[in-house]
Amino acid sequence: MKVNRRKLLSLLGMSPVLLAGSQAEAQHVKNAKTAKASPAGDAQFEALNPKGSPPPVRLIPMAPRLDTIHGKTIYLVDTGFMSGGVFLQQMQIWFNKNMPDVTVVFRKKAGPYMEDDPALWKEIKEKGNAAIMAIGH
Amino acid sequence: MGLPAVPMATKSFADLAKSNASKRGMPHIRACFTPHPVWGKTAEQLMAYVEGNDPVSGKPLMKEIIDGLTVPLTAEDTKTGIMDVSVGPPIYGPDTLDNLQKHFLNNGMTDFLPVIIPTQEKVDAMLKGTSHHPDEVVGKMAAGAFAAWTYTVKQVAVNAVMAGCEPEYFPVVLAVASSGMAALGSSTTSFAYSMVINGPIRDKLNMNYTIGAMGPFAQPNATIGRAWTLIGKNLGNGGIPGDTYMGSQGNNTNYNNIVIAENEKDSPWTPFHVQKGFKPEENVVSLFAGEDIRQGHGARRAGVLENPMFDDQISDIFRTLTSQFDALVVCDPLTVKRLVEQGYDTKEKLMDWLWKNTKRTAKEYRDSAFVYTFHYPRALRGEEPYATWYKCPEDTLVPWWPKLDNIVLVVAGGQTNPFFQVGNLTYRVSVSIDKWM
Repeated sequence: MKVNRRKLLSLLGMSPVLLAGSQAEAQHVKNAKTAKASPAGDAQFEALNPKGSPPPVRLIPMAPRLDTIHGKTIYLVDTGFMSGGVFLQQMQIWFNKNMPDVTVVFRKKAGPYMEDDPALWKEIKEKGNAAIMAIGH
Repeated sequence: MGLPAVPMATKSFADLAKSNASKRGMPHIRACFTPHPVWGKTAEQLMAYVEGNDPVSGKPLMKEIIDGLTVPLTAEDTKTGIMDVSVGPPIYGPDTLDNLQKHFLNNGMTDFLPVIIPTQEKVDAMLKGTSHHPDEVVGKMAAGAFAAWTYTVKQVAVNAVMAGCEPEYFPVVLAVASSGMAALGSSTTSFAYSMVINGPIRDKLNMNYTIGAMGPFAQPNATIGRAWTLIGKNLGNGGIPGDTYMGSQGNNTNYNNIVIAENEKDSPWTPFHVQKGFKPEENVVSLFAGEDIRQGHGARRAGVLENPMFDDQISDIFRTLTSQFDALVVCDPLTVKRLVEQGYDTKEKLMDWLWKNTKRTAKEYRDSAFVYTFHYPRALRGEEPYATWYKCPEDTLVPWWPKLDNIVLVVAGGQTNPFFQVGNLTYRVSVSIDKWM
């Protein structure tokens, strides 16, 4: 059965503008030209999309997981927001109490939170097995 | 790093964390969450967070973290490749203007005020305002930490039409867009943005720089500023609450920003663009970001009937600003006349006095939340003057800002009263408008 999508959308109380798309475009242009003589308020117009061009997303594979954290070195990285260091220090206490064979290293990331810290990432890669990074506000 | 990691945020940022990770290519990131906020909680309260549940998953937080580091990856977790992102069809309609208006409004393309529907005819007319090709890439803009979007002259024109700009305003809008600076920040701070326009174009466009200079009294002032916000939303993907916008309370100035055409005609001081190395006859827009702008005439000593000291009054207002952002002082020409009589015949002389005479104790400085977040990390790595300001005794007086030129003075107003306004706004960049004509 052939469905009139425009009529269907109108019956549902939705704007036919939702039909806009490349397949329907040629017909719409024709309609727009012929609709100029319509009564005021019913005249048909086309609007250009105001959006910019987003970059494609390149998927990044996650790093392989550990089989266990027992006996491993975990870095706790404070991003520098208020109380973040206090929070991670409580986590360090938790590890010491509950998983004493895990070596926990606390570090405050250099620079304000929005700046990169390649020296720290290098240190973690060389000396650590995993990282937990926290926390805003 | 190539090592397993678990990022953490508070519950309020759960959607943002997932959305940002997806847009950056890691849709299955193993983020964990605590209750909100962390800031201001005691060590005991934060230990309860550690020992409690992740409020998003409902599972014990530490188990979530350890699972995040140890549970083997799925095929989805290790997927590679490129995903295109759609922003919809190039054209909407045909439909009535009312329906198109509703469509734009309901799909986050506006500032929730009616827009001019950007038909091809109107966009073509706008494009006549520049000699640049419609397909030329103008720049790129990011909403905070999100990936930057790019845009062409034509895409900027669409937004300029929506804002209500005339074609002759278009070079100013293009200059602003070319800066890549968005007028909608992604921070929890509800930022404000401002632009200062200098050069003959102010008169050519009939910009208002006299009575009501910063109010809703002239089409170019109103619509150029509004276009900046629409550009941030549509071309930079900003302004989506809970996603690319997290300002806790929002900022009313974001509707059309703080647009200041400098009153060069009535000012004895050097125009701002000339201070920045441009020639007087060049047309330039300078952009600022920060927190707000406030009236200055209510300051201490404003009730002095004779010989009011505006330098003192400005300094008083400075003490209400956060030093995370700088000061943009907008003086009415009448105020400038008084300041010149006091001996400040150049902007630099007043900037110098204000910088030297606006101070606080090192303790007050170090107690500031902004200082802790932004200056303290720089002090830790030895960056001056922050390192010294953190080492000195608590009662040492330190300036409000590190440098003299953290203070900017411009002139606007209609001389109905000797007033001034102070923006807690930082100068970012000046862009030639002439290049976009």
